[in-house]
Amino acid sequence: MKNKIKPLEKKSKEIRQLVLNMCCNACTGHVSSSFSCVEVLVALYYGGILRYDPKNPSWDDRDRFIMSKGQSSVLLYPILADVGYFHKQELDRFAQADGKFGVHLQHDVPGAEITSGSLGQGFGIATGIALAYKMDRKLNMVFTLLGDGECYEGSIWEAAMFASHNRLNNLVAVVDRNHLCVTNFTENMLELEPFEEKWRSFGWNTLCINGHSFEEILGAFEGIRSRKNARPLIIIADTVKGQGISFMCYNPLWHGLAPGEDDAICAMKELQ
Amino acid sequence: MKAISLRDAFWDRIYELSKENKDILIVTADMGAPSLDKFRTDLASQYIDVGIAEQQAVALSTGLALCGKKPFAYAIAPFIALRCYEHTRVNLASMNVPVTLVGVGAGVSYDDSGPTHHAVDDISVMRILPNLKIHNITDSVMARAFADISCKISYPNYIRLDRKVLPIIYDENSDFSTGLTVLNAVTEVCIVATGNMVHRAIEVSEILKNQGIDVGIIDIYTFPINEELFVEAIKGVQTIVTLEEHTLPGGLGSAVCEVLADHQLMKQVKRIGMDFSKGYCYKYGGRKNIQSIYGLDKEYLVKTVSSIFSPK
Repeated sequence: MKNKIKPLEKKSKEIRQLVLNMCCNACTGHVSSSFSCVEVLVALYYGGILRYDPKNPSWDDRDRFIMSKGQSSVLLYPILADVGYFHKQELDRFAQADGKFGVHLQHDVPGAEITSGSLGQGFGIATGIALAYKMDRKLNMVFTLLGDGECYEGSIWEAAMFASHNRLNNLVAVVDRNHLCVTNFTENMLELEPFEEKWRSFGWNTLCINGHSFEEILGAFEGIRSRKNARPLIIIADTVKGQGISFMCYNPLWHGLAPGEDDAICAMKELQ
Repeated sequence: MKAISLRDAFWDRIYELSKENKDILIVTADMGAPSLDKFRTDLASQYIDVGIAEQQAVALSTGLALCGKKPFAYAIAPFIALRCYEHTRVNLASMNVPVTLVGVGAGVSYDDSGPTHHAVDDISVMRILPNLKIHNITDSVMARAFADISCKISYPNYIRLDRKVLPIIYDENSDFSTGLTVLNAVTEVCIVATGNMVHRAIEVSEILKNQGIDVGIIDIYTFPINEELFVEAIKGVQTIVTLEEHTLPGGLGSAVCEVLADHQLMKQVKRIGMDFSKGYCYKYGGRKNIQSIYGLDKEYLVKTVSSIFSPK
């Protein structure tokens, strides 16, 4: 495990730098919401969890990653470029007139499965894909990333009920539990806790982990294709919004903001 | 073919097609129909109930369609059109995913149920979505035909079904791919109608015919309107009367005026539909009663159309 973790940590640092550069160049993008889920996505794409083929984005046997938390797409783009779905130069055109993508996810970007940005929608789509795989007796897995704030949307719970009732155990949801929304901490705004109990009462198999620890993330994904439990799995990943940049952490003001020149220099120093 | 409800005509045909095509799936939000009872027993694995959860019906259908399935998401018309509108906008229209939404209860066909169950503004909001087509069904022959068409589409569509049994006006070999049909040869005055109001237009034209007045009738059953065909069809028409059991802003009348404006055609237009400027319809006493309150009854329409020929 330890041999596996070092390169993933290195990759996380690299990806954070790419995200920061993209957002600073474009003067936009959700840096802090992306930094809370870097380790989860790096584990999925580089840790041997997700099955995909950048040379064949519509490969039938691929797993599907559904980015329900669309505001973190600025994190997905550099990963997709880095693993080979498209040229890295495209990242320099992020949110530019000649660019192919902006702040929220677009379905026509190679490697992206859906358009996402309106919260509470991707998760339901993920249940449809998981059901289709079950119907066709396919072994593909469906992974989806939710924001904790996204779980205020009623449609999340419509989909949650459906997935457990239909025993979609090929569906794995990760919640980026960074405790912050746009204006406030979740527990000050509208209590989400007891969060794990809510999911359990909706019929889901649950796991709570530290979302910045590769040891815990990889541990949660271990044996994911041969789970005996018939229920879908939710991994509640406890994270920090803005992880990696000290002045962004625990500060709702940074939601959806790209740092200006001075802050960008400080941020980049912290990421070295 | 015997006239049956549009809902049963549509689902009966889907049932037949589903026996051959296992990718056809019914995604219902706790909605039934006699033909769906057959589905539930004979083709249970193709019948999915999401509960009273229209957002999930559309989101689930999106995922199924992205894997090559042919889902039909079904609920009462205002709910499948409006409750989950943003899912339709983002998941279906923006990604151009071929899902068929099926809504029953066009216009005020849930006449005993009040405005929550009236589909009187759904055309306005659905027709602005890119890629999506609305098929507002006129009779049970057309309902069957659009069941076939919906299994072959590469775009999202919305099948809008009246709750009542409507008379059959089309023969079984009719071609509905054009999106509109000229029912009465077009004359100086032409009624352009949609859905159940096509039948009202026929009644009105027959009364006027007995009075020596000929009016044309065009049935528009697909939105966006087939502009080329429509412009061709109304050549020589001086006055167009649009007729819909639907709100005026954004409805059929608006759509017709948009085509006329875009093609720089100067015609007199009288839009007849439902006026909700003072609030939604909390009236009961049957559909006929509601129609007469909103000026959609035969008598009012005969008077209105004939006044075009003999203005005061």
